Amino acid sequence: MKMNPMEQFAVKPLIPLHIAGYDVSFTNQALWMFIVVGAITLFMGLAVSKRSLVPSRMQSMAEISYEFVANMIGTATGEDGLRFFPFIFTLFMFVLFSNVLGLLPGSFTVTSQIAVTFALAAFVILLVIVTGFLTHGIGFLKLFVPKAPALLLLLLVPIEVISFLTRPISLSVRLFANMLAGHTMLKVFATFVIALGGAGGALSLLSVAPMFLIVAITALELLVAFLQAYVFAILTCIYLGEALHLHDHH
Amino acid sequence: MQAAATTATTEVPAKGPGFPPFKTESFPGQVFWLVITMAVLFVVIWHLIGPRIQGTLIERRSLIAHEIETAQENRRKAEQATVAYETPLFQARERARAINNQYREEAAATVKKAEAEADAKAEQATAEAEARLSRIRAEAKSHIVQAAQDATIEIVSRLTGERISAEDAAGAVRATQEA
Repeated sequence: MKMNPMEQFAVKPLIPLHIAGYDVSFTNQALWMFIVVGAITLFMGLAVSKRSLVPSRMQSMAEISYEFVANMIGTATGEDGLRFFPFIFTLFMFVLFSNVLGLLPGSFTVTSQIAVTFALAAFVILLVIVTGFLTHGIGFLKLFVPKAPALLLLLLVPIEVISFLTRPISLSVRLFANMLAGHTMLKVFATFVIALGGAGGALSLLSVAPMFLIVAITALELLVAFLQAYVFAILTCIYLGEALHLHDHH
Repeated sequence: MQAAATTATTEVPAKGPGFPPFKTESFPGQVFWLVITMAVLFVVIWHLIGPRIQGTLIERRSLIAHEIETAQENRRKAEQATVAYETPLFQARERARAINNQYREEAAATVKKAEAEADAKAEQATAEAEARLSRIRAEAKSHIVQAAQDATIEIVSRLTGERISAEDAAGAVRATQEA
C-alpha cells in the first residue's frame, strides 16, 4: 500500500476553463476557496442577522472576532489604521477559515499553497508601499533610514531594504510552511495507522498509538491554524502601521 | 479507505511526480480564483457584515452609556429626595425638642411656684394653729386657777364651816402657785 502524504496538496481541475491562454480551471482548491468564503458569510451573516442587543452565542462570536481584529489594528497600526479594517478583517477571516477548514479530513487547505500565500503577502506589501507613498510621498523612503550615525547607515540602509524586500517571502512562507508541515505530519501518522492496522496480529493493536497522536496533533494544528492567521494579520497591521507612521512611534 | 488509496496512487503519477505546491502551471488558476473569492468576501464584509456589526456594537455601547447616565441621574434625584425628606424631619425634630424643653421649664417653674405657695400657706397655718394653741393654753390655765379658787373655798367651808372670800382664795392659790 503506497500513500503519498503530498497528494493532499495536489490542485486538481474539476471544471476545465481557459482564459487568454491561461489555465484557470475550477479546481478543488477554488471549490474550497468558495467554501471558505461561504462559511465566513454564513457564520457572520447568521450572527448579525438579528442584531439583538443581548447577543446570542453566534452573534457574540462574530462580535468578538470583529472587536478582536479592531483591537489588533488599534494597537498594532494605530487609530488611523482602522480604515484598513475591512481588508484586514477579510484577510484574517479568510486565512483563519482556510486553516481551520483545512483540518477537516478529506478537505483541501487553501493556505497550504505558496501561490495563494504569496499572492496575499504580495498584495499586503503592495498595499503598504502604496499607503506609504500616498501618506508621505517620497519621504516614505525614510523608512529605510533609521536614526544612526552616518557611517553605520552604510550598513543599516541595505539591511533595512533587504528586510523590507524579504517581508513578502517570510510572510507567505511562514503561513504556507506551517500549514504544509502540519497537514503532512497528520497524513504521515494516518498512514502509520493504516499500515499498522493492516499488518495484522499484535501490530494491529499498536495502531492505536499513532491514532492518539493524530488526535493530539490535530489539537495542536487547531492552535497553529488560529495562530498563523493571527500572525499574518498582525504583521500586516504592523507593516501598515510603519507605512503610516514611519519610525515615529518608536 | 482502500478505494481512496488506490485512486490516490493512480492519480499522482498521472499528473507527474513532484511537489504539488510548487507546480507553477497551477499558479495562474490559483491566483485567479483567490482574487475572485477574496473580492467577494471583501465586498460582503465591507458593505454587509462590517457595518451591521459595527452598528450593533455602537448601538449597544450608546445604550449602555445612556442607561448608566439615566441611572446616575436617578441616583442623584434619589439623593436630593432623601435630603428634601430628611431636612424637614430634622427641623421638626429640633422644633419638637425645643417645645419639649420649653414646656419642661414651664412645668418646673409652675411646680416651684406651687411649692412656694404651699409652703407659705402651711407656715401661716402652723403659726395660726400655734397662736390658737397658746391662747387655749392660757385660757385653760385661767380656768384651772378659777377651779382651784372654787375648790379652795369649798375645801375651807367643809373643813371649817366658814366661807372665805374669793379674794382670799385667789391669794392662797397664787401663794401655792408661786411656792
